Amino acid sequence: MTSNPVLEITHLDKSFGALTATKNVSFRVLPGEIHSLIGPNGAGKTTLVQQIYGALAPDRGHIHLMGRDITALSIPERVRAGIGRSFQISNVLMDFTILENAIIAEQARRGDSFRFLYPAFSDANLIAGAYQILERVGLADQAGRPAQDLAHGDRRILELALALATAPSVLLLDEPMAGTGPQDSRRMADIIDRLRGQVAILLIEHDMDVVFRLADRISVLVEGAIIATGTADEISGNDAVKAAYLGDEG
Amino acid sequence: MLGYCLDLMRLGRDGIRDNRLLWLLIAGFGLFPIFTHFADLPFWNDVAMRIMLLGMAAMGLNLVLGYGGMVSFGHAAFIGIGAYCVGISQFYGITNGWAHLLFSLVACGIAGLVIGYLALRTSGIYFIMITLAFAQMLFFLFVSLETYGGDDGMSIDRADFGVVDLYDPLRLYFLIWICLALVGLALMFIVRSRFGVTLRAIKSNESRVEAMGLVPLRFKITGYVISAVICGLAGALFASWQEYVSPDIMHWTRSGELMIIIILGGLATLAGPLLGAIVFLLLEEMLPWLLAVVAPAYAENWMILFGPILIMVVMFGRGGLVGLLDRWRAANKAGRLMP
Amino acid sequence: MTMTLILEQTFNGLQAGVTLFLVAAGLTLILGIMDFVFLAHGAQVMIGAYAAAAITSVTGNFYLGLLLAIPVTFASGYLLELLIIRHLYQRDHMEQVLATFGLILFFNELIRIGFGPAALYSDLPPSLSGFVEILPDTPYPAYRLAVILAGLVLALAIHLFVSRTRVGAMVRAGANNPAMTAALGINIKILFRLIFATGACFAGVAGMLLGPLTSVQPGMGEPLLILSLVVIIIGGIGSVRGAFIAAIIVGLVDTLGRVFLPALLRLIIDQAAADGAGPALASMLVYILMAMVLIFRPTGLFPAKGS
Repeated sequence: MTSNPVLEITHLDKSFGALTATKNVSFRVLPGEIHSLIGPNGAGKTTLVQQIYGALAPDRGHIHLMGRDITALSIPERVRAGIGRSFQISNVLMDFTILENAIIAEQARRGDSFRFLYPAFSDANLIAGAYQILERVGLADQAGRPAQDLAHGDRRILELALALATAPSVLLLDEPMAGTGPQDSRRMADIIDRLRGQVAILLIEHDMDVVFRLADRISVLVEGAIIATGTADEISGNDAVKAAYLGDEG
Repeated sequence: MLGYCLDLMRLGRDGIRDNRLLWLLIAGFGLFPIFTHFADLPFWNDVAMRIMLLGMAAMGLNLVLGYGGMVSFGHAAFIGIGAYCVGISQFYGITNGWAHLLFSLVACGIAGLVIGYLALRTSGIYFIMITLAFAQMLFFLFVSLETYGGDDGMSIDRADFGVVDLYDPLRLYFLIWICLALVGLALMFIVRSRFGVTLRAIKSNESRVEAMGLVPLRFKITGYVISAVICGLAGALFASWQEYVSPDIMHWTRSGELMIIIILGGLATLAGPLLGAIVFLLLEEMLPWLLAVVAPAYAENWMILFGPILIMVVMFGRGGLVGLLDRWRAANKAGRLMP
Repeated sequence: MTMTLILEQTFNGLQAGVTLFLVAAGLTLILGIMDFVFLAHGAQVMIGAYAAAAITSVTGNFYLGLLLAIPVTFASGYLLELLIIRHLYQRDHMEQVLATFGLILFFNELIRIGFGPAALYSDLPPSLSGFVEILPDTPYPAYRLAVILAGLVLALAIHLFVSRTRVGAMVRAGANNPAMTAALGINIKILFRLIFATGACFAGVAGMLLGPLTSVQPGMGEPLLILSLVVIIIGGIGSVRGAFIAAIIVGLVDTLGRVFLPALLRLIIDQAAADGAGPALASMLVYILMAMVLIFRPTGLFPAKGS
């Protein structure tokens, strides 16, 4: 059993003036596992994700992807190195159809977008790759629909598909279920469940049922610091976690 | 290879539908001189040449503005650079037309690269203002270069293109026409290509493109350079046609005119800029005439109608003329489906 | 190159800077708070200049012209926002550009119809048409000195208003974070309208003050508009303080540059080349400055938006 982490965060610190958003955060995401990051509102989850993704630079600390230090890399460089991200607020290409979204993602993955002659949307190779992406999440039958006509739940799934399309080593899923109803939520959870073992996943999520169903391990973030990391049983039995987060609801 | 050709033939059916309108218009321009010959209205050939040149420049700008979402207010500068390159080459004794063209295209490419690199590090209002400022800078530069005519401009001889004697007005017409067709062809390919699709995706959602592992700046700069070169071509040909160039050709209001043309005809369409150019120049001809008939005392002030027309087009017109045609066609089809 | 010349040109630069600030102040707020590309700001300058010139020629009194023209420009800005501008806030920038471009054409033509295409000459007010000795043996036009003083007083007034009053705090909040300001329940519509009208007013005042110095003609505002954009880029969108400092810098660089750069060049390179390149380089100086600010500080020297 390999224990070389896919994603390793070491001693990450980030402050905005007097506000410390990230306090000496260290944790690792192991190959094939679904690692969930939970914490109360304002704990600093988004700030942490932004630093891993590259949208925000940490004050101190390092981020290693597959053993490689990516702390100084730009967002596109990190994506090509293997970080995939789905956004909390759907970030798909609204002016294109689902298939076109997937084609563009596929084209980006292949790395040769600077072609000027051949029509991209007629490229058989790209189309085949795009359908593979869509089939993986069950959107293939809606391929021709414009992204802006999609229902919220489907759009969240497209969001996930586009993150997957970059063939990442680790997927940052930022509240993938945000705003979805119970049915779509279940669909999404099924898709994520099926990804277990194929790609490492860092899942930021509020819904505790989803977390306990899906997560192999959980890290708890409170006021910018990780107070516990462990399996679902370990976390739910942890007193500090219960006090800080699962609440004094008793 | 066969597959590729078959795909090319399918081009008319995928994504952007206004291919056919573009080639219809271009064909129309090609046949136009026959009409003017028989109707004995050679003056209109001149108008048509102006329209083609304006349309060409507008098509160049449309690549970054309509398809790329970059509101560049400085593209008249590239038209000016293209035109001045012809004049300056002649000033130093170079008479070969091909050399002029090469000089114009290369100069505009470099200018596009420099200005694009500096300006595209910003976006939104900043970008608009910066491109405007750079265009004004070049305007003032040429105004103060007394050697090349300064404010008064310089006169230009129609160049020697070897095979083509440009003093034959019909030859110049068809040179312009061929260039227009080539630009149209190039844009048709570019807009559908992987590059063009990426540029359009950046307009739609830049952060998503970044999340796919692409660097948006590289695509934007490339698009900017291509559009600058197209405008430079239009400028070089314009200098030959007008036999004169002055800094006015790159005044910032000219960039405004290009934008008006694009929005009139339809953003992000291939035929839009050309259609817009036709309407724009016809308006320019007709409004003074209209005012002379309706209110002769104010005939000189026909521009006062133009402002409100523009404001109304912005507030009420969606998709420009191409959008209008699309909706009309769609309505017609719907009508026919109903018994 | 005497001390007198340097001093004189420095004061000219200050005068140019101060009038430029009056134009840029309103525009930077419109750009920063409403995210609205208001190209027709130059038209406000023109309206102010014409209003003052017209009233002055009717009443025979320059000061009366100034005083009465102020409400005219305020009203023109107010009405413009009410009737047209507020419908365009939601539109994308290109549409705003085109609509305001149309406004420029309209206003220029309107003035041409009303006052003719030729330039109007407005005289210096008799009380200020003399010279003042700013230093012994250094006479300087009294009117220009008055413009500098008036501009500085107005700048101080604006600064106090923005930093000390409640409305000023709303304006600063709006510049720093427009969405949040609206969410706080502040009546954005009225705030926008007042900012617009006040900006128009200041631009109009700039036009009124410049009237006797330059010619009053259709389209006189556009060069000032573009220069204000440069000022705003250098100073930072939404920042009145940035606009002031940048305006003074631009005014000084432009004025002193045009006068002294050709001479300076002649020291370095030969006469002929200097005479050719000098004026060209001088006219581009301000833009080169802008480009450099862009390279090192893309958001300007004093950006208003929070980090």
